[in-house]
Order: sequence, then structure tokens, then C-alpha cells
Amino acid sequence: MKQSTIAASPNRTAAWHSILLQYAGLLFALVLLVIAFSFKTNHFFSLTTLHTISNQIPDAVLLAVGMTLVMIVGGIDLSVGSVMALSGAVLGVCLVQWHWPLLPALAACLLTGGVCGLVNGLITVRWKLPSFIVTLGMLEVARGAAYLITKSQTMYIGASVERISSASLWGLSLPFACAIVAVIVAQFALTRMVWGRYAMAVGANEDAVRYAGINPRPIKVAAFTLSGLLAACAAVLQCARLSSADPNAGTGAELQAIAACVIGGTSLLGGRGSIISTFFGVLLIAVLGAGLAQIGAQEPTRRIVTGCVILAAVILDVYRARLASEK
Amino acid sequence: MHPFIKHCLFAFVVVLLASCTSAPQSAKPRIALVMKSLANEFFKTMQDGATAHQQTHAAEYELIANGIKDELDVARQVEIVEQMIAQQVNAIVIAPADSKALVAVCQRAQAAGIVVINIDNKLDAAVLAERNLRIPFVGPDNRKGARLAGEALAKQLKAGDQVAILEGVPTAFNAQQRKAGFEDAMKVAGMNIVSSQSASWETAKANQIAAALLVEKPELKAILCANDSMALGTVAAIKAAGKAGQIRVIGFDNIQAVRQLLKDGQVLATVDQHGDKLAVYGIEYALEVLKTKTVPADKETAVDLVTKEVLATN
Repeated sequence: MKQSTIAASPNRTAAWHSILLQYAGLLFALVLLVIAFSFKTNHFFSLTTLHTISNQIPDAVLLAVGMTLVMIVGGIDLSVGSVMALSGAVLGVCLVQWHWPLLPALAACLLTGGVCGLVNGLITVRWKLPSFIVTLGMLEVARGAAYLITKSQTMYIGASVERISSASLWGLSLPFACAIVAVIVAQFALTRMVWGRYAMAVGANEDAVRYAGINPRPIKVAAFTLSGLLAACAAVLQCARLSSADPNAGTGAELQAIAACVIGGTSLLGGRGSIISTFFGVLLIAVLGAGLAQIGAQEPTRRIVTGCVILAAVILDVYRARLASEK
Repeated sequence: MHPFIKHCLFAFVVVLLASCTSAPQSAKPRIALVMKSLANEFFKTMQDGATAHQQTHAAEYELIANGIKDELDVARQVEIVEQMIAQQVNAIVIAPADSKALVAVCQRAQAAGIVVINIDNKLDAAVLAERNLRIPFVGPDNRKGARLAGEALAKQLKAGDQVAILEGVPTAFNAQQRKAGFEDAMKVAGMNIVSSQSASWETAKANQIAAALLVEKPELKAILCANDSMALGTVAAIKAAGKAGQIRVIGFDNIQAVRQLLKDGQVLATVDQHGDKLAVYGIEYALEVLKTKTVPADKETAVDLVTKEVLATN
């Protein structure tokens, strides 16, 4: 027994080193940001800040996880923000106008997101279209549908959804726990399950996968469906956080999700990506947002700084990758 | 030629001819309503009000209503005005997406003999003066409205208390006016404005910024939001921070979603500028101008403070 653990240890330390190196660039950037903001403001480096950030990010994390899956199979999903708004609108209409109980309303919400994703996937695969265009279409359709069913009005939902954001699980808030679970499950599926390995392969070289006798279509459709489903989950969390369903929710959220993925090193061409890195990407953007708001930065500054940090993080990642490949 | 394309072409020509011949040349004045984003609840309400008004006054005028996709789509709005000029409408009632970029096309409309009435977002006075133009503005004084809400808030606070402002999109005239109105009221009451940031009119963004403000400024006593959507996000942030009841919130617009919060006391006050009537005011004014043929002056419409007490009496 003892011998085997000793024998395994050098291997394990090597594995730890490679993991550390993989996330080192992002961690470094994150720590830099936190230090910078702590110097600039009085209360940034505090538990309350951590708490507010953990409150803000769950929906962004879910969107980014879905986006990573789609990007890994070589696609892109521009519709996530609109699908989130539509799913949230369905939740709002079910609860407020039809007076449904919470559970069926949640089911309807998730179904909406899932179907939107499924349609994205099926159209992309069936007619071999670039997903950029297909999901751009869905972006418009879902946004229009969200306006239609809410009559372009923000709906106040109130106590029935607030339960979700106030509940806690293992000492974490339920939304944050959901986000963590999604990250862990997706990372596991991607690295340890057949579907995940195939997904990586499809993104890297779809023809090779087909020649190997594997049908890449269901794999791609699954990625898009999951992205839609996760967008609906994000909608639930956002509605719970804001106690209301806003048909304008998630405008531009797709770009933020893509930014988080790219900061995390996901390739825009497919075949490469990691959910945990994406999580760090979301964290980076959230810390930046919280810090800039605490400083009281004005809109122009906020946009310029955000853009620069995204670029810096990506450039830093190039050096990190070079270092990793030299080893 | 492929038979399918042939059929399509044929159908297209038929539709084109039909639409040309069937346009009724009635004596009723035709009024074009050119709106901003119909995705926005506020403008939707405005247009619905106008449509309802036209239906009850169908004998008096015809209405052609148009909107753009989002508030930033200025080029599309210019196109719509040009199409309305081509349509030879009698009057254009416009809520400009940009207070400067729409001036030139409004001038072309006037030159074509069309009565132009400006609603919602006031065209830039300097640009109008430079082009020697007079376009009457019919609408509420946003600065006055914001001041009303600010004054109601000030009554609940002590001089020297810390307050923060969440602004709308900084380039929008009404956002600037509301900010100025809040500042007027806070200065008079001797409050300390410790932060003023834009949350782009959005609930989620306001939620993020308010949450950060609550951490950075623990002494904060009130958050003044330039619209109700941002007030919703702010209330949620206050609740999440466990500070419900300790921090006052005011909004603007009196949207449906904020009513419950007013009743609960989570939002202290909002301002009603009677969105459903704003376009109607413009249309009525256009009809009046068409009848009397006078050179019109600006016309201010009502802004009212809405609080829990006001809701209870209605």
C-alpha cells in the first residue's frame, strides 16, 4: 500500500505542475487585478466584495460554459443572450400571467431554452451552415419572441423566484452552487467521457472523425442544445436575482461569454478549450466590473479598460502556452 | 428563366401594382409617427396610446406608425423619415434617436411642406439655431421630474447623507436632464453625492453597479436611479446585501413592474411623465398646427410624482 503511494507521488506532482501551469497565466492576471483594485479603493479587498461577485456571476458562468462547449465543436452561439431573455420571459409569463406553480414554470423555461438550442444545432448540421449565421438568426427570433410575449414590458415576479436566489447549498448560495456544479460536470464530461473526447475531436478535425466511423452530427447538435439549456438555466438565476423578467436581458451577453471563453484559452477554431479556464475568464471579467464600479469609473474609461484587460489576458495566455510546450 | 423565379416576379409585380392603385387619397390629414426603439416598454406604451387615440378619432386623421430596432439605430430612423417625406404625409411626429443627427432630415421634411413636431427627446437647440430652424417640442421637462423625485427623497434624509446616482445612457438628452434634476434637488438639500455612474438604463447592469457601490460606500443612504428598470436592479442588490429598508431608492417612468415595490416601500418614489399620452400630445398638436397654420411654440406636458400614497388614492 505504502509503496504504491510513494511510487505514484512523482507522477502526481508532475500532473499538479502541468495543471498549475495551465491556469497560472489566468490566476496571475486575476491576482494582479485584485491587487490593483485593492490599492485604488477602500473596501475592494473584503469578504463582501467576494460575496457580491459570487452573487453576480452564476448566470454569466452558465452562459460561458455553454459557449465553451459550442466553441469546442468548432461552432459559435451568438443567440445565448436572446435565448436567456426569451426563457426568462417564458418563466415570467407562466408565473405572473398564468399563475403556474414554480416547478412547471421552470420546466417550461428550460424547455424553451433547450428547444432553441436544438433548433440551432439541427439547422447548422442539416444544411451544413456556419453556426455564426444560424445563431445570428436565432438571436433575432428569440429576442423578438421575448418582446412579443412580454409585450415589451419588464415583469415583476417577486417572492416566488426569490426563493431560488436566497436558498443555500453546502454553505454556498444555490445559484453559485449551480454554477460550480455546471463547471465541474462539464469539465468532467469534456475530459473523461466519450462524448467530450469526441467533441474535441470534431472541433479539431471533423473529417477525420467521420473517416473514423463516428457520426459527428449528434455530437454537434448536443453541444448547441446544451448551450440553449444552460442559457435557460442562466435565465432562471438572473430572474431570481433581479426578482423580475426583463425582455432586454442579456443584450450583448454573447460577446461577454465569448470574451470569457477566449480569455480562458478556448480556440475560436474549435478543438481546444477548458471549462475551468472559462470559469476563470468569467471571474476576471466580473472582478473587473466590480472593481471599476467601486472606483466609480465612467462609461468611456470602463469600456477602454475592459477591452485592454481582455487583450492583455489573451496575450499573456500565448506566453503561458509557449512556456507549457517548451517543458 | 426558371419557372419559380418567373412566378415570384409575377407575384411581385401584381403586389406592386395593387399597392399603387389602392392607396386612398382621402381628405383626412395623414400623420406619421416616427418612434425610437419599440423594444423599449416606454416607447411601446407611447405608440399603443397613439394607436388607441387614432381609433377613437378615426374620422379626423390617419396614422402611419414606425419604429426602429434599437435606440442606437440612427441611420434607420433617418431612412424612415425620408420614406415618410416620399409618402407626402401632412405631418411627422418624431421621437429622435439622436438629438443632432436627425436635424438635417427634419429640415428636409419641413422644406417639403410637412409639419414636424418633436416629442420625447428634444432636438439640439444649438444645431437648430445654426440651421435657422424652428421645430416645436412637445414633451415633459425631465429635469423638473427628477427634481420632484429628488425632493421627495430629501425629506427622508438628513443633510450631509451620502447618496449615489445611477445614470442612463450618457449621450441621451433625457439621461443628462434627469441626472441634472437629481443633482439640483440633492444640492439644495445639502446631500453628499459620492458617486454618479451610468448603468445604461439596464436592470442587470444597475444590479452589478449598485452591489459594488454598497460595498465601497458602506455609509450610503440612497440611490437615485434615472429609470425604473435600474431601480429594480438596485432594489435586488440592496436585498442581496442584506440592507433592505436601510437604503432608499427612487426611480423614473412609473412602469408596471415597479408598482409592487412602491407599495412595499422598497422604492420611495418614481415619476410619471404619462408615456401613453406623449405621442398623443404630439399628434394633437400637429392637428392643431395643420388647422391653424401658425408657427408653433414649444409645449410642456405634465410630470407627476408617484409615491405609495399617490398609488393608494388612485
